[in-house]
Amino acid sequence: MTARSARSYAARGLHVLGTLAVLFFILFPIAWLAMTALRPARDAFSTSPFFSPTLENFRGIIGGENDLTMALVNSVVVGVATTLIALPMALLAAYGFSRYRFPGHRSMLLAMVATQFIPGVAIALPFLTLFHDLGLLDTRAALVIVNLSLVVPYITWLLKGFVDGLPLEIEEAARMDGCGQVRLLWRVVTPLAAPGIFVCAVFSFLLSWNEFLFPTFLAKENATTLPVGLMTLVRPEGVAWGQMAAAGLTVMLPMLIMSLFVRKHFAQGMTMGAIK
Amino acid sequence: MVTATSPAGRSTARGAEDPGRPARAPRRPRGRLRRSAAPYLHLAPALAAVVLTTVYPLVAALVNSFRHWRLNESRTPGAFVGFDQYARALRDDTFLNSVVVTTRFTVISVVLSVGLGLAIALLLNRRGRLTGLTKALLILPFAVAPALKGFSWRFMLNPDHGVYDKMLGTVLPFTSDVDWLGDEFWAQIVLVLTEVWGWAPLIALMLLGGLASVPPEVHEAARVDGCGAWDRFRHITFPLLRPLLLIVVFLKAVFSIKLFDQVVTITGGGPGRATETLNFYAYAQGFTFLDIGYASAVSWILVLALGVLAAFYLIAMNRQEER
Repeated sequence: MTARSARSYAARGLHVLGTLAVLFFILFPIAWLAMTALRPARDAFSTSPFFSPTLENFRGIIGGENDLTMALVNSVVVGVATTLIALPMALLAAYGFSRYRFPGHRSMLLAMVATQFIPGVAIALPFLTLFHDLGLLDTRAALVIVNLSLVVPYITWLLKGFVDGLPLEIEEAARMDGCGQVRLLWRVVTPLAAPGIFVCAVFSFLLSWNEFLFPTFLAKENATTLPVGLMTLVRPEGVAWGQMAAAGLTVMLPMLIMSLFVRKHFAQGMTMGAIK
Repeated sequence: MVTATSPAGRSTARGAEDPGRPARAPRRPRGRLRRSAAPYLHLAPALAAVVLTTVYPLVAALVNSFRHWRLNESRTPGAFVGFDQYARALRDDTFLNSVVVTTRFTVISVVLSVGLGLAIALLLNRRGRLTGLTKALLILPFAVAPALKGFSWRFMLNPDHGVYDKMLGTVLPFTSDVDWLGDEFWAQIVLVLTEVWGWAPLIALMLLGGLASVPPEVHEAARVDGCGAWDRFRHITFPLLRPLLLIVVFLKAVFSIKLFDQVVTITGGGPGRATETLNFYAYAQGFTFLDIGYASAVSWILVLALGVLAAFYLIAMNRQEER
């Protein structure tokens, strides 16, 4: 064996080790949380990888002593409602930005992106007093309204990228055939943009599912979502870690699965969203 | 538009199969729609939503920041007090403390997240089954809700039984007695670590997109010319990645300045005020002490800080484009 090939073997070994270290770094906290969730509650702090899995922690938070069912329902309802309201608005706007040049085009697009830099407190504070006056405090509707501030600009930007990539010829042909604008959007653009719409639906749900500041501010009891519901497991007499992990897994799992589907667009959406 | 992002970015938008597709001719307004209201009609619903949920609260917060308004005293806004509440913030030690905490946290977590993210991206920038799997999983930490990140790290760093506490105590014996969240210094480290865990893999994912746009022939040619790995990184990879790195640094900085969720779920601002960030301070003033006026002033200081950062960033981007 020559010195050169020995060195390349060593480099390869190092590379594999490094990659395994990265995998460990990424996966360990997630795996540990999953294990804690399935561990018997009395062994929450056990560090042994061997245990007999049980669902008792899940029973504790779903219908059990620390019932989080309501928070789970709220999370799903708020996420779905936010997505259903935001998507049509964003698709219309994305199409407008993509297909027309008009006065204010650039600055409006820039303003959309700029909203991502606004701190949540600045948005939540005025809504705290407004919803208080309107009697909307602690309702799901309040959370949906405020979540739109996060979701609409973001997925408009993302969808614009998708619409930019759609072939114009089909639209032109449809227009020649006398297809009106509404029909065109619904029958031609929407099906063509379906993959992009799917990605945006996932993002929209993810943003509102993981959102913590707004429900902390605007929901006290009835409308709390799952991430905030986790806080109720922190008690003066101690934290119910097993149930916390079970609830955590419930928050995490759908997001992990969905994010794997759209991971390419995630990185792209973040970086592209930052520029004009 | 930044050149380094567009090849990778555009190709994924169109479908990863045809990255080499020629750019489409610029789109022109067409026929009868040229001077119509059509574009504005398309934008109207989304703009209405943005105005209601972003412009309205920003303006309302600005107005409130000039008014005396404590919810526990009165349910209606009080007298205008001009810049009093801004002046109060600048004289308030706990506010200034939160500025220092936020700045320190931002600088450290940007450096560590971007540094580690770059290292991971360079490590994984090759083909192979193991690297492929790892690349696919890079998104996972970021998909975990920030609030949950906080809880899980707090659990794993529990000084009595936490698994990370035990592991670290074995590898770095001097940490075996550390009470991670009870100590001002270590609590800040923990906060940084959770951020690095969430962001470094995502940053790696973003940078891998940029690295993929560097043609391998360039590296091959440099290697043939006798360029070492470090020289190739410094003279080829880094200059090509620079625009993308700038975006990533900026994004990470913005999200660090806005840090809130983990502060609540890990440290609650403590011990003492060691981890009380600006966003958390504004939240406490408004939500706990119900001082809407003062909290609005603080949140507007935060808005201005982020606005200045955004302006610098846009100027830098423009300059880069002109080159």
